Amino acid sequence: MSSFILNLIHRPELSPEYAEKLTGQGREEEPGRKALVDESLEIFKTQQALAHKYGLRTTIQMTYASLFCPEAVALAKEDHAAYGDEIGLSLLGLPCEQFREKYRTKDFCIWMFSLEDKKAIVRDVFEKFHEIFGFYPASTGSYYMDADLINFIKAEYPSVSCVIATCWEEGPKAYHTCNNSWYTLMDGGPWAPWIPSKANTHAPAANAAEDSGVVAIPHLSRDLLACYDGNGSNFGTHPQNVLRGMIYDSQTWEYPYLYNLIDQYRSLARYNDGLAYNMMFVGPGWMNKAGRWEQPYELLYKAYEDGCAYYGKLKQEGKLQDMTMAEFAAYYRQRKSYTTPECALWRDILYGSDKQLFWYCDPYMRVCVNMDQGGAIVDLRPYAAKLEWPVGIGTPHVQNASYPFLIQEKYRAGYFTHYAGEGTVRSAKLCWRGEEADLCLCRTKASFRREGEDRILTLDPVEIVFAGGLRVKLQTAHTFSEGSANLRTDRRILWQSDPAETVTIREYLTACYGTTEYPEDMSSLTLHVEAGEESVTIPYEYRCREAAVPGAEEVSCTLPPIKTRVSMLANGRDRVGFIREGYAFSPMFTLGWERKLREQEVFTTWLRLERAD
Amino acid sequence: MAQAGKGRLNYRCPSCFLRDIDMDMFYDRDRDEYYCLRCQYRGKEADVLAKNELARFRYGAMHRRFTFEEED
Repeated sequence: MSSFILNLIHRPELSPEYAEKLTGQGREEEPGRKALVDESLEIFKTQQALAHKYGLRTTIQMTYASLFCPEAVALAKEDHAAYGDEIGLSLLGLPCEQFREKYRTKDFCIWMFSLEDKKAIVRDVFEKFHEIFGFYPASTGSYYMDADLINFIKAEYPSVSCVIATCWEEGPKAYHTCNNSWYTLMDGGPWAPWIPSKANTHAPAANAAEDSGVVAIPHLSRDLLACYDGNGSNFGTHPQNVLRGMIYDSQTWEYPYLYNLIDQYRSLARYNDGLAYNMMFVGPGWMNKAGRWEQPYELLYKAYEDGCAYYGKLKQEGKLQDMTMAEFAAYYRQRKSYTTPECALWRDILYGSDKQLFWYCDPYMRVCVNMDQGGAIVDLRPYAAKLEWPVGIGTPHVQNASYPFLIQEKYRAGYFTHYAGEGTVRSAKLCWRGEEADLCLCRTKASFRREGEDRILTLDPVEIVFAGGLRVKLQTAHTFSEGSANLRTDRRILWQSDPAETVTIREYLTACYGTTEYPEDMSSLTLHVEAGEESVTIPYEYRCREAAVPGAEEVSCTLPPIKTRVSMLANGRDRVGFIREGYAFSPMFTLGWERKLREQEVFTTWLRLERAD
Repeated sequence: MAQAGKGRLNYRCPSCFLRDIDMDMFYDRDRDEYYCLRCQYRGKEADVLAKNELARFRYGAMHRRFTFEEED
């Protein structure tokens, strides 16, 4: 039996926000408009029929509006009885006349309401659901579900075991794509199912005490390379995502990318104890009879049918299990422990670049390693802090639900190529006789292996050529230890053209904090080199100060705004620990270690994440 | 001159698409052309379609079917 699991989810939205704008062009806004409701229901029926045609069961996530629609309710009951579809409850699709009259707002994203309103709305829709179906749902969801919301739902409605809780990397990039108008700011979460912590939905629970009580699934399974760089809504396992990205042949209407994406997700089983996962979640707005952007209805229909057909074929071949959301939650809890990480060695399947990224996620960190930059860490989220981050009206973050980063190469430059300043990245430089070479400029590949509780990413060796004549072959390995907030990095010199020479390796982490492209106030940060009586502390004042201490024990930075402490440790008696403050035009900090090495020697450093308080 | 509306299909601006912005265009019936509210692009339907092909240049592997090692 395959362990590639599919959750196929349909929601009978009766006034999809994007369809309302499109089909209502030239009309005053009217969410209950009969033509829109009728067409939306028809599309929902079509989607259900296509799933069943290819032998797939669905989870029907009823929307609030659909609970007032006898035809939608009857259809859900029929399909539950005939096909075993699960009837769940979505917190998307709130807009309808009843909702507008009661709440007097056009808001429709559950995580943006005040906590008081969230509670009222949840009670309202769950009780309405119970009134209609005679039971409470086992699954719910939205584009994002904040921790307070999940905790409340689990306390009030313990039947809920599975929630759709985030859209992977749907943050400033998606906002930008929509001409700065789509407020789904929720970067920094897991791309695959996880158990959210009670403190922060993005950060997985480390133990039973932190367990929010639900299994979370992402809204769609997204391309871990394309979505990191571009608009998330173009590169996901929703066929219309692929069409939105124009990733199809306009003459033949073929889109091998969709199947490549599904297959790459299937292949992730090899990094995750045999378990792989896909989620396809669609509302009716994307199959509008008027077409969607450049795509006529016929293409929209074909793409959805082809998507269902491919999943159906995999199922027939015994390569896929379709589950409902509640079934999956139970299955997931059997297969995974709290500390089991999620790993993905991801390859470019779209641009032809041959690039490779490695994504790692556990209760302590989310990390992206870029093999095209010599194994540099280009994204780092310190989940170890389990940062409380309430969102919605009345909180400091009305829309911004992203988990803060320490490193984000797209929002904070990464390896630096511009005129003045630095970018966030964790890499190393090799130095010899006044020359230096950053491993970020060494393009390579990696392989993955598991040894006991360690997941080890080993990069293919790279060669550094110094203008002065010395050549050095070096290999990097990152070791992620399950249940630990430490990331170990080994740099081994495999060969030198002159074995008598020594080279200096300068390991560094340049970081800051934030959730968007724009800088934050760094003035509450503190840099520190721990070296007994030689210790140095630098309160961040944008004064470009630095310190280096031979034989230091630890270098660290404390970031009170995100309750995070990041530190680095190193081996070797001749090590030198250093810290660097940034300045106004480069609001970063740098921690690092320097050591001299000869052929066959290894420099080991550890990156550690902790909650600051 | 009447106000602009939507055309036969709801084309996005190809110039904005190239910079990762989904910008719906409007159709000017009098000039028989689409135009972008955000940038300076304007063009007839044939030009929009041609530019959409151009926008696909970055998808170098768009037509390729990859194989992956399976673990079934």
